[in-house]
Amino acid sequence: MKRIKILLTVVFLTVSAAAMAQSQGQMRLNEYLIINVSDYQDDFGQHSSWFELFNASYGTVDIGGCFLTDDPDNLKKYQIPGGDIQTQIKPRQHVLFWADNQPFRGTFHVNFDLENASEIIFVKGDGKTIVDRIPVNHELGENVSYGRLEDGIGSFNGDGEGWSVLERTSPSTNNALVDKAAKPDKMKAIDPHGFILALTAMTVVFTALIILYLLFKLIGIINIRAGKKKSAAAQATTVEKSTYGEIPAETYAAIATALHLYLVAEEAHDDESFVVTLNPVDRTYTPWSTHIQGFRQTPTVIKKK
Amino acid sequence: MENILSNLQQFWQFTGFANCNGQYLIMIFFGLLFLYLGIKKEWEPMLLVPIGFGILIGNIPLFQGLKVSVYEEGSVLNILYQGVKQGFYPPLIFLGIGAMTDFSALISNPKLLLIGAAAQFGIFGAYAISLAFGFDPAQAGAIGIIGGADGPTAIFLSSRLAPDMMGAIAVSAYSYMALVPVIQPPIMRLLTTKKERLIRMKPPRPVSPVEKKLFPIIGFLLTAFIVPSGIPLLGMLFFGNLIKESGVTKRLANTASGPLIDVVTILIGLTVGASTQADQFLQWRSVWIFIIGACSFVIATFTGVLFVKIFNLFLKEGNKINPLIGNAGVSAVPDAARVSNNVGREYDPSNFLLTHAMGPNVAGVIGSAVAAGMLLGFLG
Repeated sequence: MKRIKILLTVVFLTVSAAAMAQSQGQMRLNEYLIINVSDYQDDFGQHSSWFELFNASYGTVDIGGCFLTDDPDNLKKYQIPGGDIQTQIKPRQHVLFWADNQPFRGTFHVNFDLENASEIIFVKGDGKTIVDRIPVNHELGENVSYGRLEDGIGSFNGDGEGWSVLERTSPSTNNALVDKAAKPDKMKAIDPHGFILALTAMTVVFTALIILYLLFKLIGIINIRAGKKKSAAAQATTVEKSTYGEIPAETYAAIATALHLYLVAEEAHDDESFVVTLNPVDRTYTPWSTHIQGFRQTPTVIKKK
Repeated sequence: MENILSNLQQFWQFTGFANCNGQYLIMIFFGLLFLYLGIKKEWEPMLLVPIGFGILIGNIPLFQGLKVSVYEEGSVLNILYQGVKQGFYPPLIFLGIGAMTDFSALISNPKLLLIGAAAQFGIFGAYAISLAFGFDPAQAGAIGIIGGADGPTAIFLSSRLAPDMMGAIAVSAYSYMALVPVIQPPIMRLLTTKKERLIRMKPPRPVSPVEKKLFPIIGFLLTAFIVPSGIPLLGMLFFGNLIKESGVTKRLANTASGPLIDVVTILIGLTVGASTQADQFLQWRSVWIFIIGACSFVIATFTGVLFVKIFNLFLKEGNKINPLIGNAGVSAVPDAARVSNNVGREYDPSNFLLTHAMGPNVAGVIGSAVAAGMLLGFLG
């Protein structure tokens, strides 16, 4: 029992760690700005360099304990403090870090700046696994940011695929202008009377059920053929296996016929396998099958004299 | 003495009598009507009794702040209501339905699946009507699902597409499910000839245990790959059926089809009923939801029966389907199948259609879950 508990604990911890690591692996460097003259300012009123991380997954990711660095030889340069509720990044949300080399100003101020950095690297909590990296483009002008054209889309090995100079800075928000119209509004514009959706959806419903029909038609045919083969083989061996032990075959036939007639007459079953198996009853003792567990005690009647 | 009178006066302000108005009385009347239909007439008592009593619970006039109303955060009813609001009761109900359903009729005659698909026109017919009446597409989708004749599906979809209309949609869906024996027979008679009503269908072939085990696995993989947004419902439905048919998880199947579904049915019925608070429920749009809901059932029955008639044109003599089972495609398990059987026996007392009607009936459950997935994908 103890072993099982230990095993379960190990499995649970491994799975949890894997799940956590997996979700941290969905974090992406998303945008950065090096020369901040009059762009977004931090809580201290300073215009510092910044970069943005994006949670590309559909689950909350805790980045507490992960590392940020500008030095490939020192992957543990800045550890994001754990235990801060703000490091739990909601699905498809952004988080902004100030690269002002002022780590004592808070969780989101790192100990390097972008003006002297060659690249930005996001590292998992193990301090070894690089999740995403991007070289720093020092040709950017004042208040100009460099980022992914679409949030979280593009490479994450540092080759810059999917990155470009952005038309406008977008700290803590979407890089691309998202079409604000929600799905229902779009649907209303495209299909004001509902006919297109009706036809599309009914086509899908019919397709799904037609495929299911064809599959089970096929399985049915295979099953019927297999059943015929089986019954032919059973008939061939009936004579040889007509007796079992000392009970004559007629007894089995009589039992089977009686059971079949009973079940058909009572409509107890809709499907019979036509095979009757008689096995000795195994009455293994367990505490659950004792009469003490299964019956109420008979009340004792005390007669008054 | 003065203090006592003052206390009594204050106490009076707390009571339902002091806070009562006509709206609450109307809703209490509806609650009592549901209880009457459920207990006296035995129309879907498992649903109408909890919903009816839930309506009474939700419509006791009270002032907010007592932390007892279903809409007050932290109240017991509010906590129980989360299963409806967050949508986790319906998949649990589907688990139980799967564990109770025997798909043999469908497996032995898989063409009956198509009737279950045809009857889903009711959903999209109601969607189009709702749009015409000025509902926005998400609301129209939630109203349309009433035509799926599946309470859990209706609650699941409306909790995502139009949470504020969920009470009216759920009550409407369950009411019409209870009224299936009233709504469907006239349409079935209208659309069929006497000759068609007398069609005798071939008895279903025996289905092997292997086929029964394969059905939920293949059924789930196929439908979920096509409509991933339907996974919560389809996954639980087919999983429930697998634990029933696998033969090795009898205890799980018994729990899913017994205590679990009973508990969830009580909670879902009671909390949906309680969510129909007069101020939330008594609006003109609730009336429209009921009218469109009725239309959706009518359309679904029409299309189900008509589809069988058209389908019969392509089937050989001896393989033809009795169009009276077309209505069963609307889901509403097993009432719609019973209606097929009863109407069929009115014309030929020895023609038992129940087994055949169960095919499209359970196909309707799959079809409505797929349709709900589609609506969620497009509008959610």
